[in-house]
Amino acid sequence: MMIERTLIFMIFLVGFWAIIANKHIIKKIFGLNIINAAVVLLFILEGSRIGTQAPLLDMQVTNIVDPIPQALMLTAIVISVCVSALALALSVRLFKATGSFDIDVIQERLSHEQ
Amino acid sequence: MNSSNLMFTPIVLPLLGSALILMVKTFSSRKGRIIAEYMGSAIGLLLPLASLFVLYPVVREQGFLQQVVGSWDPSIGIMYRFDGLSFLMILLSQLISIPAWIYSRGRGPKENTFTALFLIQNASIAAISMCSDLFNLFVCLEVMGMTAYVLIASSKKNAAAFASFSYLLFSSTAMVFFLVGTYGLYRITGSLSYAGITTMIPEPNLMSSVCLVLITVSVLLRVAIMPLSFWLVPAHSKAPHAVSAMLSSVLLKIPLFSLVRILSLVSIGSDIGLVVSYAGAFTALFAVLLALSQKDAKQLLAYHSISQIGYITAAWGMALHAGVTSKTGAFLLSVAFFHALYHAMFKALLFLSVGTTTDYANQRNVYILRGANAQLRASGEKVPITMLCYFVGALSITAIPPFNGFFSKTLLTYALKETMQYTLLTLAGVGTLASFIKLSRIYLPAKPTGQEETKPFPKSIHIALSVLALFCIAGGVFAPQVFNFIKELLASHPEQEQLSFKFFTSSNLLKVLYTSLGGIVLFILAVSKTGTKLLSLLKNLPRSFSDAFFGFAVSIAILVYVLL
Repeated sequence: MMIERTLIFMIFLVGFWAIIANKHIIKKIFGLNIINAAVVLLFILEGSRIGTQAPLLDMQVTNIVDPIPQALMLTAIVISVCVSALALALSVRLFKATGSFDIDVIQERLSHEQ
Repeated sequence: MNSSNLMFTPIVLPLLGSALILMVKTFSSRKGRIIAEYMGSAIGLLLPLASLFVLYPVVREQGFLQQVVGSWDPSIGIMYRFDGLSFLMILLSQLISIPAWIYSRGRGPKENTFTALFLIQNASIAAISMCSDLFNLFVCLEVMGMTAYVLIASSKKNAAAFASFSYLLFSSTAMVFFLVGTYGLYRITGSLSYAGITTMIPEPNLMSSVCLVLITVSVLLRVAIMPLSFWLVPAHSKAPHAVSAMLSSVLLKIPLFSLVRILSLVSIGSDIGLVVSYAGAFTALFAVLLALSQKDAKQLLAYHSISQIGYITAAWGMALHAGVTSKTGAFLLSVAFFHALYHAMFKALLFLSVGTTTDYANQRNVYILRGANAQLRASGEKVPITMLCYFVGALSITAIPPFNGFFSKTLLTYALKETMQYTLLTLAGVGTLASFIKLSRIYLPAKPTGQEETKPFPKSIHIALSVLALFCIAGGVFAPQVFNFIKELLASHPEQEQLSFKFFTSSNLLKVLYTSLGGIVLFILAVSKTGTKLLSLLKNLPRSFSDAFFGFAVSIAILVYVLL
């Protein structure tokens, strides 16, 4: 478990670094997706602590995973898709307005707009 | 109908209304489209008020209503709990969203997708107010955030799209940390509901404290307490005016009061409350100084939103510190909500009136714009309602009696007497007055600058502004009654005595006088040469993207350090 957690933490850090330090707005959106994915993995890992089989209770499967984290993460994935879609739409609008994906350049060019 | 099913109506009715509005395009006749749109808006905005009216006696009698969505088994279903706090939060959002929507009919955005999103936002606010588990709170906060991002970007200006983008990036990242906190608590307790979590962690340990801090900080980012407030100013100042009014009146407060539910149940909530209270008081003072240094009229108002939310959190934090079930705690929480409600009224009024003025004058710079009322008159406004409403709002926020701000601020500072926050908040009051003198100069008479282009002046602006101004004045006249109404709904013991506090004592009035004099002196200092230089230093503080994340990290670190 420790190795998996460490790997997930590293994925998280990669995404977080992209959000903070990368100037390219599309890469920032990638970063947001990556940290989201890391948290999803973390929940799924947590659910598999007590079993490994799919929770099909009608078919008498034993040794099942905890189904609650999976149900939660389905929702979280949907939300993260919506957020990415909106963020990408906004970045297209920003690119059309300023001709750049660099966050500093965008800020600079938009500051002249009244 | 069963009254416990009725508690879902504030969520379902706005959703129904927005569905109707989205289907409007299928109507063939223009008249049918208009009728359907207004019907949808009425269902979404007015009917929830009616259902609150029906729910009020039930909440007063039973204390709370509890129901699982879709009648699932309580162990796997989503539990909603409607109590006095939910009632007040929904009431707040309805009272402000109706005038804001009416305003949007006049000055735009007029598209029906705007109304549909606006209603979805109301539904999510109602859902947040009733949440009783962490994951559902996450989902509802995200829904509220999504609608806010789109509504901000619905402005024609491209700077609004950028403001919306950075708000989205900050708050989505913060919400990932919220999820991490949820993960930790689920791991420790195996439960997501507030009740389940609190029964499983009697003893606070390192992990549960860190998780709660992560959750608190990511929700407080939406509340915009310094150092978490970087995103607020561009978002609030670039959004369409109706949306700005909604954002600072309602969307800042709802996450704050939803946090009460979880933090009041855990023992480290009182320590978190104390830290947040100090942060709030510092925010109130510091943001007002930043407001004084602004030149853009709407940015100035946006900094005041941060400052006023600082007042509210100062009382809110002390309420948690005292424990919301105790007598002092319940009093402080009621005071915090009292100011939140009154701030919502006057801040919406200020955003809408200043927004109208700067639009018609085509100038947002408070150093350049003069004679704004003459320009409004040139555009066809016969009675200077916009200017009068602005002054009602300005006198309210600067706590001049008999407007509503005087009552809520006096009571709030009285409740925090003998703490350090009292001094900070009093100083912030001086700054508020000074910066509003600065803003009010836009209405000073000036020489006419030639023929302005005339834009139509829709009636709905006047209706929205008059309604909000009426709220401010009525809030002042009926302040003790309003406060007792809030207190009765928030107190767990029904046999609470009535408020014995006297507002119009000589010491309170003297304090207003001193604050006003201090404000005038501060204003004179601020426009002097040295003052301008100092303020421009403050204004040019670096505010880049990574600074904001630095603020986020610092606030998590401070909270964790204090708790250990």
